[in-house]
Amino acid sequence: MTARTDVLLWANRIVRKGSTAPNQLLEIRDGAGLDEAQAAFHKVARMAHPDLHRVSLSAEELEMVTTAYARVAGAYQELRMMRMQTTRLPRTSVKPPANAPVNKMPDLSPSEQKPIGPAGVAAQMAPKALIYYRKAENALRRGDLTGAVLQLKMAIAADPLSTLLRRALIEVESEMAKGG
Amino acid sequence: MAVALGIDLGTTNSVAAIATPTGVEFILGPRGECVHPSVIAFPASGGVVVGQDAKRYRLTEPHHVIHSAKRFIGQNIRAPLVQLAMTGIRYKVVEGPNQQPIVVVRDRRMTMPEISSHVLLHLKRCAERQLGTQVKDAVITVPANFTDAQRQATKEAGRLAGLEVMRLINEPTAAALAYGFGKDKQQLIAVFDFGGGTFDVSILRLNGEVFEVLASDGDFFLGGDDLDRTLAEVLAADCNRVLRIDPRPHAALMMKLMMGAEAIKCHLSENDAAEGEIDGLDMPNGTTGKLPFSVTRKQFEELVNGYIGRTIEVTRQVLAAAGLVPSQIADVLCVGGSTRIPLVRERLSELFRRDPNNQINPDEVVAQGAAIQAGSLTNTLVSSGMGARDVVATVGHTTLVGPGVMPAVVLSQGMVKRPVLLDVNPATLAIQTAGGFTERLLDKNAPIPIEKVRVFTTARDNQTRVEIDCCRGEARKYTENEPLGTLLLENLAPAKRGELKIEVAFRVDSDGILHVRATDQASGAQQEAHLQVLGAPTAEDP
Repeated sequence: MTARTDVLLWANRIVRKGSTAPNQLLEIRDGAGLDEAQAAFHKVARMAHPDLHRVSLSAEELEMVTTAYARVAGAYQELRMMRMQTTRLPRTSVKPPANAPVNKMPDLSPSEQKPIGPAGVAAQMAPKALIYYRKAENALRRGDLTGAVLQLKMAIAADPLSTLLRRALIEVESEMAKGG
Repeated sequence: MAVALGIDLGTTNSVAAIATPTGVEFILGPRGECVHPSVIAFPASGGVVVGQDAKRYRLTEPHHVIHSAKRFIGQNIRAPLVQLAMTGIRYKVVEGPNQQPIVVVRDRRMTMPEISSHVLLHLKRCAERQLGTQVKDAVITVPANFTDAQRQATKEAGRLAGLEVMRLINEPTAAALAYGFGKDKQQLIAVFDFGGGTFDVSILRLNGEVFEVLASDGDFFLGGDDLDRTLAEVLAADCNRVLRIDPRPHAALMMKLMMGAEAIKCHLSENDAAEGEIDGLDMPNGTTGKLPFSVTRKQFEELVNGYIGRTIEVTRQVLAAAGLVPSQIADVLCVGGSTRIPLVRERLSELFRRDPNNQINPDEVVAQGAAIQAGSLTNTLVSSGMGARDVVATVGHTTLVGPGVMPAVVLSQGMVKRPVLLDVNPATLAIQTAGGFTERLLDKNAPIPIEKVRVFTTARDNQTRVEIDCCRGEARKYTENEPLGTLLLENLAPAKRGELKIEVAFRVDSDGILHVRATDQASGAQQEAHLQVLGAPTAEDP
């Protein structure tokens, strides 16, 4: 048998299976591990990756091979996610280092008419910018000035007209320049 | 013989190459340069000038010189990143149909794919002149985290340049291909791609001719430009102190400081200190000023330490996503100009406990990989009997050996197996479910091409229309993700609720582009469901 008939027979077989268990599509035993799944998928890729058949198959044949391949890729991904979730270690929560500087959002109230309470901040920028602003506040609480700057830049981009955001950025950046 | 070009279409520079029986050959510009600036000028004298020659118009006609078009291609002009990028350019960008950015130069309105097509056309012409044959096919590389719309727009640019874009491949994957092609390696590698505009990192498993991307992620808002901006802010403060003028409100002045900062940054990659002055500063009061500067490498490193720390953090996350620890990685490839910064390499050495590979040229390796993939797709790698050889630039590499031919070390004779690239889906695709939550359909980092079939039904009697909201992102809440568009299933046959079964196949193709196909299970009638992505080019003219 030629490589061409091999791949067409395989694709036909896979497509006819319809929606079935991932191990059925990969043609491996039930309960196979990650390594087995990977080896099986690489074998399929070496034989059936659509790139390898671009020139040798007709458009219709290539479409069938692509569909079969894409479904097996989906099956592989599903198995991979399942196996990785069971083998991954429980996550430990990330604590800020003990000596992290305690920063708070720059106090910008004096010249603004509104007090900077939660509602006051919200009134001074677009809702989308507020999401980034809150993230910037969180970053500052962690002592992550760079993260705060990035989030503030995103906030400014979401609402380029907010003066509060621009002033906050300048304050945080000057804090950074001081070696914070 | 069919010639297929591999093209690294970069934010600042582009490189093109082809795979030949003797190795990878670079396409040279009119002055013998291998790196082509992605700059397009529309000078007063008429015509279009691209590449090295276009750069000199930057100071005389800044409003007619288009650069960094990659930052806008396939983007929604209202996106935060785009608004930010627009503050750093001097040419005019306006909103066009479907919220796509449109460049306006000398009363001409051009889409971003049109702009980029000039760079591609330039490369195509250089290639045709150098090779003495017509060039039709190409493989173009894109950042791993490019979205659907950005990929589609890049393909469109190729089409406008008269190229058949056989495939888009991710830049880190191309780099890995150039590194491992024909060497039958069995190992895990990391590709750290830190360029001018974006940063991304990929973990790959090389298994003979199979190149499998295990995980890939990045930060779209982090690149060499951010380092320049940080240094430019310090220069601006100096300017304020020494010359008593605050340059920050003046875009042109800040641009000049940014260019100065970039030059200082590059100098500091080779030297411990940079001293001198930035001259030709056009002050708002009409005078021309000079700004002296003195920066040590240590000072610069302190300034950018946070940004570089972030790249290392993302690298850790990607390793975790691949289920690996740093010690399992056998080699670390550095791609992109920003990896020339010594601190970047130091931090990578700390993380992986091994020095990054210093045998590859970070500017050229991506185009080499694209050229190999182009050769493979046209099946010219095998038919020309190209042997396994070291296609990656080695220590003695120069860009001007002969007519652009790279020195190639032939390792072994004989046929080489065509590489199989298992690239990944750049972002999770999800649909909205009841209660404003999402259901994940195609995971980020899943191998492509990939397909998932879901069956939908109607919620009311005689419902003839179903709308499915699609989004990109990992958040559980629909509104916290990036909306992609609404999928419409129309003209459904009237039936009792729940009776109609519509099978929808979501497929991300090998280029990383999403296709949706709906089939009525009862009738078998198929329709290509349409998903209009905002920011993508439309059929209409701007």
